[in-house]
Amino acid sequence: MNAIETTKLTKYYGKSLGIQDVDLAIKEGEIFGFIGPNGAGKSTTIRTLLGLIHPTGGSATIFGKDITKYGPAIKEEIGYLPSEVFYYDDMRVIDLLRYSGSFYKKNPGVIAKRIKELAAYLDLDLKKKIDDLSYGNKKKVGIIQGLLHEPKLIILDEPTGGLDPLMQQRFFDLLRQENKKGVTILFSSHILSEVQKLCDRVAIIKEGKIIRIETISSLVENAHKRFKLETVEKIDAKPFADLKGVSDLVITGNLVSFLYRGRINDVTKIIAGLDLANMLVEEPDLEEIFLHYYQKDE
Amino acid sequence: MNLFSREIKAYRKSLFFWSIGMIALVGSGMAKFATYSGGGQSMNELIAQFPKSIQTIFGLTGFDLNTASGYFGVLFAYIALMATVHAVLLGADIISKEERDRTSEFLFVKPISRLKVISSKLLAGLSNLIVLNLVTLFSSIYFINYFGHGVSMNSDVYVLMAGLFFLQLLFFFVGTVMVALIKRPKTSASLATSVLLVTFILTYLININEHLDGLKYLTPFKYFDAKNIMTDGTLNPVYVVLSLGLIVAMVFVTYRAYNRRDLSI
Repeated sequence: MNAIETTKLTKYYGKSLGIQDVDLAIKEGEIFGFIGPNGAGKSTTIRTLLGLIHPTGGSATIFGKDITKYGPAIKEEIGYLPSEVFYYDDMRVIDLLRYSGSFYKKNPGVIAKRIKELAAYLDLDLKKKIDDLSYGNKKKVGIIQGLLHEPKLIILDEPTGGLDPLMQQRFFDLLRQENKKGVTILFSSHILSEVQKLCDRVAIIKEGKIIRIETISSLVENAHKRFKLETVEKIDAKPFADLKGVSDLVITGNLVSFLYRGRINDVTKIIAGLDLANMLVEEPDLEEIFLHYYQKDE
Repeated sequence: MNLFSREIKAYRKSLFFWSIGMIALVGSGMAKFATYSGGGQSMNELIAQFPKSIQTIFGLTGFDLNTASGYFGVLFAYIALMATVHAVLLGADIISKEERDRTSEFLFVKPISRLKVISSKLLAGLSNLIVLNLVTLFSSIYFINYFGHGVSMNSDVYVLMAGLFFLQLLFFFVGTVMVALIKRPKTSASLATSVLLVTFILTYLININEHLDGLKYLTPFKYFDAKNIMTDGTLNPVYVVLSLGLIVAMVFVTYRAYNRRDLSI
């Protein structure tokens, strides 16, 4: 059984498109990445799955149950961490977490123990008022309130904002531990490296549509590099234009810039023949991948 | 139950201050009666010199201001305004605040249906209305007795408070309906208060202009007018039935519309 399955899931906000014909099949026990630029429809998909907004077309099931019919029952098994966390400012952290736990069927004693463990692990003071917390600490509250009922499915929407690198590391370790117990994770992000670190497979969404679903390994194999060269003399464009795997080639005077996908050796051979003044090789950011790779390949 | 008690706690302070305000309104209102009646001058004669429109605007017509009960009848319009302002704000606030404070991504991802959320919130809201109504009832009885030199009009007060409760309910659900129908929490709250204001002003327009009498069904303040209640000694059954119908309809729309619409996040 799939943990999450969507069929032609569509959401329009009035006339403007949120997502269209999203087909996903996320297996149980998988860490599934969901990546795309801001405004591509990641949050819309997630909020639809959680019943915060209603689909205008298509359907979705979580653990085999339809999201519109069995909302409350499904949510018993889901832990959710939104990108921005907002809580009742007048509450203390511990009160909020207890309140959060009180909605689940799980034994309050078990939940209380889990709150303590997680707070100790993430180094969070439970006695503070929500209002007095820094953004990063509020995020920790979010993590705990998403995990305290030991959900079978964890949904994370751009979860790392506000966490320092050390905490991010702990948070990822925590997720890996949960995953080892069989928990399915849906991890949405616009940062490719984050997703690469954690996920098995990834769906790439752009302008409301899923444009590709790949394993992380093939994504890495297909990784593009951006080359920027500056030469002493004027450059002949032809060797680069002829090389397979070169795209987005721009030559202005002594400057060359292109995206390359393929054997590094092939390109360095050409570069070796040039009289270089400067050279830069970098990972393209996500936007570039979308613009030059996925769009052309479609 | 957890959501209900959370809401009760969240409104504890506000309810306390509204209650203090209500006691102060009733107390100071009736205290003025004590000064007027103590002055020996007949209030009725003084008031009679005012133009008719001024009299109606202040709700002075038809009451014998030399008696504590007549004076309380005038005061009731202000009590009703205060209680309905509380009700409409509460109704709009209690439903919309999850969206306004952006906590809907907390509450509505819990294993609880929206219908249950609404039920808990409505129950918590109703409890608040009942408490404010009882505070009004007891302070009215106390202050009428205190400043009216032992005058007893308890049965009138009971009926007036029943009328007040209908008004509270009507405007509470005006608040919840607006929130259920409109996605933006700020718009819905101001729309709900606008409804209150328009109906309140309409009441005075009807009072001043007899040709507008046909519009009386449009404003709940006319349904539970102190003058009529105190003359009849009971609530007008037509208005009671009309109110109940409106309340049921608004409850229905609140549940249905809120369940169907997208939450604003």
